[in-house]
Amino acid sequence: MTALSIDIKWSRDNFHLNMKTDFSDGITGIFGHSGAGKSSLLQLIAGLEQLDSGQITIDNAILDNSNTNQFNPTHKRRIGYVFQEGRLFPHMTVRQNLLFATKYIKKDKQQFNLNEVANLLEIESLLTKLPNQLSGGEKQRVAIGRSLLSSPRLLLMDEPFSALDSSLRKQIIPYLIKINQKLKLPILVVSHDLPDLLNLSQQLLLVKDGKILAHGNYFELVEKDLLIDIMEKSGLNNMIPFKITHIETDYFKLSKQTKQGQIDLKKPKHLQYFEIGDEINVSLRPEDIAIALHRVEDVSIRNQLEGTILQIIKQGNQTYCLVDVGFKLLVTITEASRQSLKLKQGATIWCLFKSMALRVNI
Amino acid sequence: MTNYIEFTSTEWDAISLSLQVAFWSALLCLPIAIFTGWFLARREFKAKFLLEGFINLPLVLPPVATGFILLLLLGRNGLIGQFLNDLLGIKIAFSYYAAVIASMIVAFPLTVRSMRLSIEMIDPAYEEAAKTLGADRLQSFFRITLPLALPGIISGFILAFARSLGEFGATIIFAGNIAGETQTLPLALYSAIQVPGQETTAFRLLIIAILFSFVAMAGSELLAKKLHHRKH
Repeated sequence: MTALSIDIKWSRDNFHLNMKTDFSDGITGIFGHSGAGKSSLLQLIAGLEQLDSGQITIDNAILDNSNTNQFNPTHKRRIGYVFQEGRLFPHMTVRQNLLFATKYIKKDKQQFNLNEVANLLEIESLLTKLPNQLSGGEKQRVAIGRSLLSSPRLLLMDEPFSALDSSLRKQIIPYLIKINQKLKLPILVVSHDLPDLLNLSQQLLLVKDGKILAHGNYFELVEKDLLIDIMEKSGLNNMIPFKITHIETDYFKLSKQTKQGQIDLKKPKHLQYFEIGDEINVSLRPEDIAIALHRVEDVSIRNQLEGTILQIIKQGNQTYCLVDVGFKLLVTITEASRQSLKLKQGATIWCLFKSMALRVNI
Repeated sequence: MTNYIEFTSTEWDAISLSLQVAFWSALLCLPIAIFTGWFLARREFKAKFLLEGFINLPLVLPPVATGFILLLLLGRNGLIGQFLNDLLGIKIAFSYYAAVIASMIVAFPLTVRSMRLSIEMIDPAYEEAAKTLGADRLQSFFRITLPLALPGIISGFILAFARSLGEFGATIIFAGNIAGETQTLPLALYSAIQVPGQETTAFRLLIIAILFSFVAMAGSELLAKKLHHRKH
């Protein structure tokens, strides 16, 4: 289902933004370098900037339309906006910050209450504190909670990870997935960090110079050769959805069905907010996968998946194989091994990787 | 021996009148100054420099000239004064109200300046955030901008109060020097200096004037510092 449709033309100084697309109900990562127009796009959707021409609709309701001169002001849009720096009101306690928006919503239209949100984001113990007494991660969570309590129909997040170190990022990501899945709230996340985005969603909008480069699933974009150039620095990664099969207090188990049987993973960590059957993305680096022409029997590597080469992508001195093993996998190979194994499109091969290489980023 | 402590009733009148006039003029000045300060801090328009010049006029104009302008406008035969007098029977010039109005006008640019500075120090990003949470412009002003500007507002009030205590030129022209009605501390001081043999009165009033001004300015500085800390 389409939550949000945009058709925007907007110019400021020498920057021109021209984007047209539809967003789904899930989490969409908006990715591009700084200055590509990511934040401007969010501001236009939120009504903090007014478009020059075009239309923005949400759930088929018109927010902006340049032809009919319709412009819904920000405070009437019911679009949550989590700013990069949190922007908690410094003169209010966490509780007052969280409840700020509830004055403007009728009781029967409030989707969540304070306790639910505080519980979901684990901020109950912070309610009486002032923003300057909070850590970066706590501020970010309160900012998310404050937006949720405005009962938004869409949540916009501008670089939610940039102020956080990697362990805090891992804390925030499950909350966002949970918010999207449990509360059915579409989320647009802007980031210039692709690995972070991929932990959240494989649905990506690529933005460059104010234009949409591509919009689609991560592997579709890889296939179209669109991501490799942009991702050279951050490194390509495979994200494989695993199902949660078991949750204990000190560990949890994940599994993935393949043609060659089931891959099981056990992680020694307390998993909160997820239930059995929920999906979690597990990452597998392309350089951690080996390619063989046959199944290898006398080797310690247990994960061996048969697949077909969909495409061989050369980028600088790197060569990538995109392999379909029931799901898509990117594999890094050297040019020498490509030639010696005579790898080409359509060939049947085996992908080998250790369970150790599978990383759960939660 | 000269008595520096026992004030005469005329002196007490002048001191209490000064405090009253200063209080009312600062209080009435404040809401207009807050709005003007906010307008100058948050809005950009082409003719802004003209408005700024006009608002700051009383700051550099000789106070006597300001008083004269007020007289021309609000005096019994003035542009507005005539109308008020004929239709409503209100006489403003040479009254307690004239003293308050003269003080307000002279203190206004200083108060606006203080308001504008403290509102400019508040990141507009907070107001933007308030809008995304459903607050309109007015609501975000009252719930975000105003509370955050509070130290600046208090310091602006003190500044207006202090400036009113010292107001002389506009007051003597527009409100006159009527003991018990418009004779504020500076006017009483002026009268005492003019008359030979009134040195003790002049000295007592001088001490009070210094005391009031010092307390007000030190208090205002203290608040300004607090505001600065809040900005991080």
